[in-house]
Amino acid sequence: MFVFTVNFPVFSLDTIIPRDIFRFMDSFKGKNDSIVDPRFKMILWSIIAGTRGGINRAKILSLLANMPLNANKIATTLKLDHKTVIHHVNILTKNELIVKEEKDYGASYKLTQIMKDNQNVLVEIMERIGTK
Amino acid sequence: MIDFMIAAVIAALVNVVLLAITVTTYVQNMRLIRSYYTLGLVLVATLLMIQNVVIVIFWATLYMHNSDLMKSADMISQYLFAINIVQTIGLSILLWITRR
Repeated sequence: MFVFTVNFPVFSLDTIIPRDIFRFMDSFKGKNDSIVDPRFKMILWSIIAGTRGGINRAKILSLLANMPLNANKIATTLKLDHKTVIHHVNILTKNELIVKEEKDYGASYKLTQIMKDNQNVLVEIMERIGTK
Repeated sequence: MIDFMIAAVIAALVNVVLLAITVTTYVQNMRLIRSYYTLGLVLVATLLMIQNVVIVIFWATLYMHNSDLMKSADMISQYLFAINIVQTIGLSILLWITRR
C-alpha cells in the first residue's frame, strides 16, 4: 500500500522574522556594532530622534553614563528647567533606560543593564548630534 | 443620515493637520541630528501627508465630475470614512508618543 507521508516544515519565529533583520543597518555605520543588539538600537534611535526633546534625553543619558546623578544635579549641569528634567527622567524610566538607585525623593538615577550593554549606540548618536 | 463623504473629508483634513505637527517635530530633530533615521522619519510622514491631500483632491474631482460617479462615490463613502478614521486614530497615537 502506498503510504503518503507529509513532512510539514516547522517554522520557528527566528525563521519567519530573523534575529538579524536589521542587519542592513550595519552598512550605514560599522565601527563597533557587532556587540550591539540591533533591536535595542532601533528603540534608542526612536526615543532620541523620533520625539520632541529627544536630544535632551540623549544628553541626560550620556551624563548618567559617567556617574549617577539626581534630577537636581542634572538640571544644573545641563542648564535645563527642573520640571523638564523630571519629565524626561520619567519617560526614560518608563522605557527602562535608567533606574532610581533608591526609592527616596532625591535619589540619583543610573543606567539599566541593557542600556549599559549597548552604550556604543548612545556614543554613535551623540557623535551625530555633535554636542559630546 | 450622516453624510459620510463630508465626514471622510474632515477625517482626511484632520490627518493632514496631525501629520503637519509630526513633520514639524521630526524636522526640528533632523536639523540637530542628521542621519538616515531622522531623514526616513521626515520622508515617511511627508509621503503620508501627500497621500491624504491626494485622497481629498481625487475624491473631490470624482464627486464633481458627473452624477453617475457621484452616486457610486456616495455608495462607498462609508468605507472611505472608515479607512480615514482608522488612520486618524493611528496618527493621534503617533503624535502623542512624539510630543510627550
